[in-house]
Amino acid sequence: MASVTTNGQDRDPVSLFEIHRRQMIRDRMIVNVTLGVVFLGFLLWSLWISRFTPDRLATGLPRIFEYFGSVMPSLQWDVLFDGRNEAGRFPAGSIGYWYNDFWKYLRLIWETILMALTATILAIGLAVALSFIAARNCTPFPWAGVLARRFLEFCRGVPEILFALVLVFAVGIGPLAGVLAITIHATGALGKLFSEVNENASMRPVDGIKAVGGSWFEQMRYGILTQVLPNFTSYALWRFEINVRASAVVGFVGAGGIGAELSHTISFYSDDRVTAVLLLVVLTVTIIDLVSERARHSLIGKESLR
Amino acid sequence: MSTLTFHAISDADIAAARKRYPKAFGDPFVATLKAASWAFVIVYLIWSLGFFEIGKLLSASDRAWALMTRMVVWQDMATWQYANIYKGIAQTIAMAFVGTLLGTIFALGLAFLAARNTMPVGLFRHAVRRLLDVFRGIDQIVWGLVFVRAVGLGPLAGVLAIWISDMGNLAKLYSEAIENIDRKQVEGVRATGADTGRIIRYGYLPQILPVFISLSLYSFESSTRSATILGLVGAGGIGMIIIERFRAGLFDQVAFVVLNVLVVIAVIDWGSGLIRKRFIGERGH
Amino acid sequence: MLEFKGLTKQFNSTVAVKPATFTIPDGQMVGIIGRSGAGKSTLLRMINRLNEPSGGQMLFQGRDITALKGRDLRQWRNECAMVFQQFNLVGRLNVITNVMSGRLFHHGFASSMMGIFTAKERAFAIRALDRLGMAHVALQQTDTLSGGQMQRVAIARALVQEPRIMLADEPIASLDPLNAKVVMDALRAINRQDGLTVICNLHTLDTARQYCDRIIGMQDGVIVFDGTPKELTDRAAREIYGAEAEEAFSEAMTSTALHPQPVAQPEARVVN
Ligand SMILES: Nc1ncnc2c1ncn2[C@@H]1O[C@H](COP(=O)(O)OP(=O)(O)O)[C@@H](O)[C@H]1O
Ligand SMILES: [Mg+2]
Repeated sequence: MASVTTNGQDRDPVSLFEIHRRQMIRDRMIVNVTLGVVFLGFLLWSLWISRFTPDRLATGLPRIFEYFGSVMPSLQWDVLFDGRNEAGRFPAGSIGYWYNDFWKYLRLIWETILMALTATILAIGLAVALSFIAARNCTPFPWAGVLARRFLEFCRGVPEILFALVLVFAVGIGPLAGVLAITIHATGALGKLFSEVNENASMRPVDGIKAVGGSWFEQMRYGILTQVLPNFTSYALWRFEINVRASAVVGFVGAGGIGAELSHTISFYSDDRVTAVLLLVVLTVTIIDLVSERARHSLIGKESLR
Repeated sequence: MSTLTFHAISDADIAAARKRYPKAFGDPFVATLKAASWAFVIVYLIWSLGFFEIGKLLSASDRAWALMTRMVVWQDMATWQYANIYKGIAQTIAMAFVGTLLGTIFALGLAFLAARNTMPVGLFRHAVRRLLDVFRGIDQIVWGLVFVRAVGLGPLAGVLAIWISDMGNLAKLYSEAIENIDRKQVEGVRATGADTGRIIRYGYLPQILPVFISLSLYSFESSTRSATILGLVGAGGIGMIIIERFRAGLFDQVAFVVLNVLVVIAVIDWGSGLIRKRFIGERGH
Repeated sequence: MLEFKGLTKQFNSTVAVKPATFTIPDGQMVGIIGRSGAGKSTLLRMINRLNEPSGGQMLFQGRDITALKGRDLRQWRNECAMVFQQFNLVGRLNVITNVMSGRLFHHGFASSMMGIFTAKERAFAIRALDRLGMAHVALQQTDTLSGGQMQRVAIARALVQEPRIMLADEPIASLDPLNAKVVMDALRAINRQDGLTVICNLHTLDTARQYCDRIIGMQDGVIVFDGTPKELTDRAAREIYGAEAEEAFSEAMTSTALHPQPVAQPEARVVN
């Protein structure tokens, strides 16, 4: 059999293959060992810096179980569904006792959802407008595109709760600060996603509208928006889910919603009130996720969003 | 009939066209529905902004302006205790790393219990999934506060919070990856007469490992972001420094810290993107 | 009358159109031929300023259109409609809205953003569609149409602009011979009946010979031929097409079915 090697050496294919194989294994070993050492080093450094040491864990873990034990409701089957007694109180062990503040929680959750909804609508409006300026293929002026992209990056980079902290200082305690904070952050996040969708849109319809004498607004409205609207809707729904979660915690810094009650309850009580309010929040978030997910999937099939 | 100018279109022409193609002149039902939905959104917005007391924005201008100026005009930069700041940032990254690693390890186990094709007992699978829902449904910062209550102030609470929420997120995503596995490859391995261990090693792992690594890296990125604010409730990291200095009215320092955090996060995103590419090529997940 | 005075276009280092000077009188049907990359599209797109000229001047009825800006520019674009090779319709809108978009220039900001069109515009759009035998699909979503149908919708959109010039950039290059004939017949009818100037980029020689009053040949950005179809001998054509000559000629062979229809009764055209 004629030799197919190009290195001019006179070896049979099997031993050549063996040489190559050993070389490859050795190369891969070196890379893997290096990566492993770096990883381990980083891990040790991290454990030390975050003070995540065995003795701390040993003292911490029992306390965690103790704490979770103390916040569990102590429900009793015989009085579970009992109403108020003569003194106007629920008997201990009943659901009514556990959820004594149910209506207050419900009102706050309602406020939380409204905050998220308003912020989402405002953010959609701002993000749509900015996305056309930020998208490289749409921008009316390149310098405005650069500015818009930097602005969106900033809005997206700073977490809602930090904006909320600052805005509570500026406009006072209450849901307004939360709505504005979530709006700003969501504008950044949506604006980036929207502008990426715009950049992937076909420019042919835009040329068509341009050629009939359409203005920039008309080119965007007819040429681009019609193409990207399903994607926009899907992203907006997805953002609404995230905003509900955010608006449930901006109250930690006084920016409205259930967050203030949540942080107050967790900070000052270690009884079943903690699980009562937490469970309600989890239920709300889960239900909204489910509904919105359904809507999204029916919109553009089972396309993944990331 | 040939050429006709727009100008010359008469009412009779319109009537004739309407008669032939009535639907081309707009569906009044659809038009009303559209107008009504727009009206609803606008009315809702106006109402809700009133409900949230948008007017406070106007009266706030003085305070807002003072805040903005303080954030932009940096004073006494020599006294800013930079070591403290960078230690806080380092702690944030460390917390995110340890938390994500722990979350990954635990999620690996939970994912197989939550995936339909690896956990045939429906009741148990659903129990695991609901538990994961609780881990995910409670925001990381809420977990942070809970753990601060349980184990006290400091980064340990932060690590635990990242651990538990990453565990919930990753286990769900991992289990989806396991469910979306290509069954033909598994059957190919089984056909060679392999035992369960080998089926997992050669049938499942090559398919899911790149996805898992990619998901965990994403999780690390997002945990570094979210870990920056865990300190707001006392769970360690740079957030503690941000809230301390904010409460003390040192807004210029807060702005500086936030800028630094943004840069660090951008660098981490970039680095993790590189690693992702190295492990799984260009295809992402 | 459309006058070109040393009009030129340069992309970075490539000169797509070298200084071109010629005149197109009103009502002429002009075909521009040349191999791909010769600069045909660039020349055409400079007329309605989708491409900005790098030098020279264009005059329409004595008015300088090279320097138009803002609303004046949009008005000029509205006056010279364009038909594209890939139709460039808005796929997700229905056919009639696409046609009515030809009147967007006359709309105010609010009505165009809300997509509100008047009954008169709708009637006019239906007339235009009817003229191209497309009124029956007026409510269909545009991207569900076939290529030939889309091109006819695009021509209808151009018609409702009530243009004075019709530009067509390889309008039949993506169509089968039958649809190509329908589209070319329509352009010719517009030229003959409405008296519009039609300037049409064509890849195939035969089509240009059959339909145009005048043929302009381009090669590497230079106008190398300008005359009547009769003056365009095979030898001259070979020179224009260079290496692509065989292709251009063989395409001409395959589309020999393309004989222009007498223009007297355009309605008699069979649709679908
Ligand atoms: N947007 C552009 N950027 C750079 N070069 C271009 C651009 N458009 C066209 N060209 C170049 O200009 C020349 C003429 O192109 P074009 O007018 O499209 O030719 P034709 O339509 O005759 O095929 C070609 O060399 C082409 O590569
Ligand atoms: Mg071309």
